Amino acid sequence: MKILVTDDSRVMRQIVIRTLRQAGYDDHDIVEAEDGAQCLEKVGSEKPDLVLSDWNMPNMSGIECLQALRASGSQVPFGFVTSEGSPEMREKAANAGALFLIAKPFNEDTFKDALDGVIA
Amino acid sequence: MTLSRARPITELLDTETVQSICDEVWPSLVGDGEAFVPVPVAPPAEVVSAWVDIIGPWTGSVVVTCAPSTAAALTESVLMTRPPTVVDDEDVADALGELANVLGGNVKSVLPGESRLGLPQIGSAPARGRLDDVRALVGQWRGNYLTITVQGTAPHPSGTEVPQ
Repeated sequence: MKILVTDDSRVMRQIVIRTLRQAGYDDHDIVEAEDGAQCLEKVGSEKPDLVLSDWNMPNMSGIECLQALRASGSQVPFGFVTSEGSPEMREKAANAGALFLIAKPFNEDTFKDALDGVIA
Repeated sequence: MTLSRARPITELLDTETVQSICDEVWPSLVGDGEAFVPVPVAPPAEVVSAWVDIIGPWTGSVVVTCAPSTAAALTESVLMTRPPTVVDDEDVADALGELANVLGGNVKSVLPGESRLGLPQIGSAPARGRLDDVRALVGQWRGNYLTITVQGTAPHPSGTEVPQ
């Protein structure tokens, strides 16, 4: 399985990847993107099985990326990992087609709760 | 024309809430067993700040300030680096900015109304606004000076805002 981790912070991408491993998802291929625009491009070129994306990023936000993916017909499973987890954002994410929203700070248990059933 | 005064942060956010956010963020982001301790220590001669802006019914910034050496140590802890690996300036800006970002996102989520969060910035802390529009936690991490300030935006110098 291939997972595309998208965040404009390299530090946060490393933390997300580390937490995936700590949560037991350590035998998957990881690819990275630095913003929504690059994520959109890599969904096309890398064909990931799952996208984990930050919300607030320069160039193209995570929600704009998800909307663009769905508008283009892509149904790639998509979840947010973001520093904001308000009910409004969760609703907006779900309406756009996101499977889950993990709010920062998180730990391996948060990841397991969100990802069990999504990652085989 | 009458302009209503926005409610200051001191009416919207108490110290305990900021501390509880820190209590969640530190172990998750900085590392197991790590904590922000709200016991002041002497400020260092030189400081660096990272912050995110919150724009909404309340507008201001969430600012993290510490010594450059503390920022570097925080980065090493966040990235779990071990000698001889060293962190560079870009890593430090990224890690301190992400700490401000996560703290800011959580502060935003407890404020009333819909707000927008800006992207992390690093440098000299932005100017503070009204004196009563500041919620500051002065404390330490591993014995080193560190403050978290939730502060209203300073009035625009053009005078477009009502003088306080």
